[in-house]
Amino acid sequence: MSLTSKFKEAMVGLKAGRVTLDYPAHPRPVPENFRGRPIFDAQKCIGCAACANNCPAREILVLDVCQEVRILKYLGRRCTYCGRCSDVCPEKAITMSHEFETATNKISDVHQRLDLFMSTCQRCGRCFKETSPLEQLKLKGYRFDDLENERWIFRSRSFLESEPLVDDIKIELD
Amino acid sequence: MKAREKLDQLKAKLGPAIRRADIPSDHCLFVFVEASALKAVCEYVFRDLDARFITSIGADDRSFSGSFLVAHNFAFDRDHLLCSILTEIPASQPCVESISTVVPAANWAERELRDLVGIELSGHPYPKRLVLPDGWPDGVHPLRKDIPWNFVPDDYDDEREFKFDEPPEGCTVVPFGPFHPTLDEPAHFRLYVEGERVRGCEYRGFMVHRGIEKLAESVLGYNDIPIMAERICGICGCVHNVTYAQAVEAAAALQAPPRAEYLRSILLELERLHSHLLWVGLACHIVGFDTLFMQAFRIREPVMWIAEKITGNRKTYGLCVIGGVRRDLTPALEDELRQVLARLETEWQAVTAAVLQDRNIQKRTRGVGVADRNLVKEAGLIGPVARAAGVGIDCRRDHPYAAYDRVDFDVITAPDGDVWSRLVVRAREVFESIKIIRQCLDKMESGPIQLEIKDELPVGRLGISSVEAPRGECHHFVITGENNRPRRWRVRAPTYQNLQGVPAMIKDQQLADMTISLGSIDPCFSCTDRLETIDLRSGAVKVWSPEELLKLARARGIAAESSAKESDES
Repeated sequence: MSLTSKFKEAMVGLKAGRVTLDYPAHPRPVPENFRGRPIFDAQKCIGCAACANNCPAREILVLDVCQEVRILKYLGRRCTYCGRCSDVCPEKAITMSHEFETATNKISDVHQRLDLFMSTCQRCGRCFKETSPLEQLKLKGYRFDDLENERWIFRSRSFLESEPLVDDIKIELD
Repeated sequence: MKAREKLDQLKAKLGPAIRRADIPSDHCLFVFVEASALKAVCEYVFRDLDARFITSIGADDRSFSGSFLVAHNFAFDRDHLLCSILTEIPASQPCVESISTVVPAANWAERELRDLVGIELSGHPYPKRLVLPDGWPDGVHPLRKDIPWNFVPDDYDDEREFKFDEPPEGCTVVPFGPFHPTLDEPAHFRLYVEGERVRGCEYRGFMVHRGIEKLAESVLGYNDIPIMAERICGICGCVHNVTYAQAVEAAAALQAPPRAEYLRSILLELERLHSHLLWVGLACHIVGFDTLFMQAFRIREPVMWIAEKITGNRKTYGLCVIGGVRRDLTPALEDELRQVLARLETEWQAVTAAVLQDRNIQKRTRGVGVADRNLVKEAGLIGPVARAAGVGIDCRRDHPYAAYDRVDFDVITAPDGDVWSRLVVRAREVFESIKIIRQCLDKMESGPIQLEIKDELPVGRLGISSVEAPRGECHHFVITGENNRPRRWRVRAPTYQNLQGVPAMIKDQQLADMTISLGSIDPCFSCTDRLETIDLRSGAVKVWSPEELLKLARARGIAAESSAKESDES
């Protein structure tokens, strides 16, 4: 019967009461596991660039200024908060925070930049062990992503540029 | 045994045409045939062996084997068997005989491989451009390996216009899409209308083609792709994520641990729950019954929240990597999940008890958008659309994956094939999903959730996988490759097949029923390609051409941008 079903439908609605949240005045706390904006800890980071190599959105850039200094830049523009960077980080230097309301007029607000001191591996200069062959470092050796134009560079060089910022040694890798 | 049996049948009938075959498992069969016999083999498989057509795949394999690959995938649903008919085509003459005349469901898939891989089709009944944008130059095929991922053609022709077909005699054209209030995705239907009746239509879609397959084959790595794959769909993303992982696992002969399989099943069913609840809500919204639209969304919300608690996000779960899943379920979350399901069950019982007796909805949906068994076969329709036409196909039962072989559930069917049947099927499937999740929670054993992968994945292996998405079967085809990424990855989402059935579903019915017919499979509409302005003072009418409109819009855009810049500087 249509009339009884109309009555039942009305009951479904009445029983529910008011469910609309008072957002944004009272934000609902996010659960423990929530994957928000990744936060990089420069104290823990060893500069292996596993995060940069495994970021599906290619939002983490790496620039080797010289043998001793590596810059890691998180851009955060296209970041989908998937959390792969924090999964593959061997030092647990990346935590998925609870921040998600990160809309901004100035994109540099979401950038994070790490200037890392790198100790020299006497054997090869830049090499790190991957967790599994699927997470292998696709770009080995020295990296020269274009920080100025925020562009990922697809080829990697195993030696430093001819005129590095600091006079430095040159090591061939492959 | 079934795979062997089918191969023997094929050999008995078309022996000389078969070059070689591969049976990686009981449920999977790859047959390489002569290019000249491709059509005959497909006809035999589709008509005589009564297989269901899944999709066609083209691959540029020139740098490895010196030839192009074309595959037509079929499913033997009763025999639990997925079958791929492959053929190699010489690089010097990339041309293959079209199978669309004998397998009508292959129409789009064949045109797609022609557009993207550049394999010419001889004898295709409707060889119109499908995927590439109108201005894209002829003879440039983006999925070929010599085209870089970020290729922008120099001779892209903005001015080139799409040529629509001539409408039949006595019909008026009513444009439907790419934007319409009731539907969420851009697709254009050019309806041929006679009075109030729709007599036919021309479809034009692929406006949001993002080239994800190309990215995967040239830039991403094996474990980046699952994250990208789940962004293929805004509602059933987890399905693509799991299908991709399973296809690669099948190709590389990896087996995810049992606990990971249960977790995959649980999350897939959670996704089905929220997707079906969303669809029932939207369908009611389309027919003008907003009370249930609101209530369905209210009931759906706790499902989103529990998914957020388990995976860290309410929609993009980021569940799978190859060889397992990323996050485990804690006992506390298990309990909470049970509570959510219990509440959902009682609330949904109340809703179905009311709605399934509601005569108003029935009047609006019975006999509308009918897809009968014949159309299901010919157009390759799947999922709730097929089940509502009495064709009981469900990959969870027919091609068991994850933990579905260890749970009991019913495949819900309805006899009439109309929108009402689809509503009933989806409403009842909610209870089956709840049942499945409960069984998974009971049976789930503790253990690792990720397989330890010690070696690089083998190169050049084929893998296929089908997963029952909320909208129907989702199918992925993978050829493993070098540099830690697949050589070819082909995605066939369920709507790809179901949309091809829409022209037949809406034929000869009321124009007003178009929205719900289209909505009942889940895809879009209303734009005019011109704009009229009337000068109020003089009453003069100016008709704007698309070019003028574009110019106007761009001029405005630039003005807005520069004013924003100024305010920024000040």
